[in-house]
Amino acid sequence: MTKVELINVSRVYVGQSGPVYGLSALDLQIAEGEFVCIVGPSGCGKTTLLNIVAGFEPPDLGEVRIDGEKITGPGTSRFVMFQEHALFPWLNVSQNIMFGLKMAGIHKSEREERTALLLKTVNLSDFSTAWVHELSGGMKQRVALARALIMDPDILLMDEPFGALDSQTRDMLHEEVELVWQRTKKTIIFVTHNVREAVRLGTRVILMAAKGGKILREYPIDLQRNRYLEDIEVVKIASQIRDDLRHEVLRATMEEGYHVD
Amino acid sequence: MSIDQEAQNDIAKARFFAQGYYVWRGRAARLGFFVLLIAIWQVAASLELWSEVIFPPPKEVADALVIGMRDGTLPLAIRASMQRLCMGYGTSLFIGIPLGLLLGRKRLLDDTIGSLAVGLQALPSICWLPMAVLWFGLSETAMQFVIIMGSLMSITLAVRDGVKTIPTLYLRAASILGATGWRFYWYVLLPASLPAIITGAKLGWSFAWRSLMAAELLYVTSGIGSTLMMGRELHDMALVVAAMILIIAIGLLTDRLIFRFGESFIHRRWGFGGRG
Repeated sequence: MTKVELINVSRVYVGQSGPVYGLSALDLQIAEGEFVCIVGPSGCGKTTLLNIVAGFEPPDLGEVRIDGEKITGPGTSRFVMFQEHALFPWLNVSQNIMFGLKMAGIHKSEREERTALLLKTVNLSDFSTAWVHELSGGMKQRVALARALIMDPDILLMDEPFGALDSQTRDMLHEEVELVWQRTKKTIIFVTHNVREAVRLGTRVILMAAKGGKILREYPIDLQRNRYLEDIEVVKIASQIRDDLRHEVLRATMEEGYHVD
Repeated sequence: MSIDQEAQNDIAKARFFAQGYYVWRGRAARLGFFVLLIAIWQVAASLELWSEVIFPPPKEVADALVIGMRDGTLPLAIRASMQRLCMGYGTSLFIGIPLGLLLGRKRLLDDTIGSLAVGLQALPSICWLPMAVLWFGLSETAMQFVIIMGSLMSITLAVRDGVKTIPTLYLRAASILGATGWRFYWYVLLPASLPAIITGAKLGWSFAWRSLMAAELLYVTSGIGSTLMMGRELHDMALVVAAMILIIAIGLLTDRLIFRFGESFIHRRWGFGGRG
């Protein structure tokens, strides 16, 4: 069943030297329970795509449908994990995790119960009363993950959430996200510039063109779980995608060169 | 080679004492400096270059302070000033903080009321006194009006600017966490602007304090500003200096007691003075 559907979606930004296409006439269908990873050179529109699905930005043309219904703004059925943790500094760890439940008017005792459970899931039980600034980068993203999971959204949107982490922490969080996805079968859209990360996590990898906000190619990933970044098959597919990506960047640069002349 | 437990303790202890040392050295230096200043003042006064009427020695100023405190005139003046200040400044906070939050969020309000506030901010608060006296007569209300007009704009604008610089990330996080309507204002916008609110409150306090003193100087009534003016009329320079010292002391004390508390609260939560 189609969960997320982008129909003819365009988003144009007005730049110094004319219009810049964040997305142009983009069509994309994502089935329920898919783990779609979007890769592409910087400025290709992958974050724009995520923001539009999240409802933070409206598309200039076209529409986004969730379960067949057109979206008009952000909602609690879609949760975003940002590149930076986006935790509230005025709340401690467990208050941050239960914030969404509080907004939903859920009773305090239930809030605390579910928060305790999630703290255990992300191995942060000892830090429930710590302030955000006292945590390391990896711990902050784990809290952000817990805050996302407690909302139990149908769709999880992730915008390079592990980009700034060291490799051990990232490996651990990959496993946690994979586990969550396997257990709950949530639909996940994961934006990254790291091709190997995309292949390691996704059921499908989408490569975007360097310019113009279009999809260049799609790669279904039918590898067995659980995968590791070092798996030979992961590396193989990743290097193929990376070749395509390199080719694309080179092509775009050449094109730019002609423009300058 | 590893450091054994005892050595570690020694290092920790040394650090602890080093920190304490600088704190206490700072305090001692400050105290010494002011003692020196008073000593110079005393020497200058005892040289009798100027008449005592113009340049009173420290002892006389201290006497003026003690006598004023004993006979109740100074406590009464302080009370009168503080009452006005609390009323006026309190009103400014009560209006300014919500108004600032709104202006930071609603573009149309900012374009209209916001630009009015910026304009009025350019007007020194004491310029409101003639209008206040004509409207409210020689009354407490007139004084409070001057304090409000003096501090309201700076509080409002500081809070507005704080709201405008809240990272988009927090606002987006709030929207997907379901914080909408009043919940958004109460649970997200208000706490997120807390650093700005404290800055605004501090700024507003200093404006309120200055406005009050200016108003009391121009306006025969009770209060510390009036005590200062009375000193001038009686040619009592010691009283003038005593009142000035009192004004400085109250200003510093509030800064230490109230705003330091707020700032250290922010520091504990945010990890530093600002946002992030």
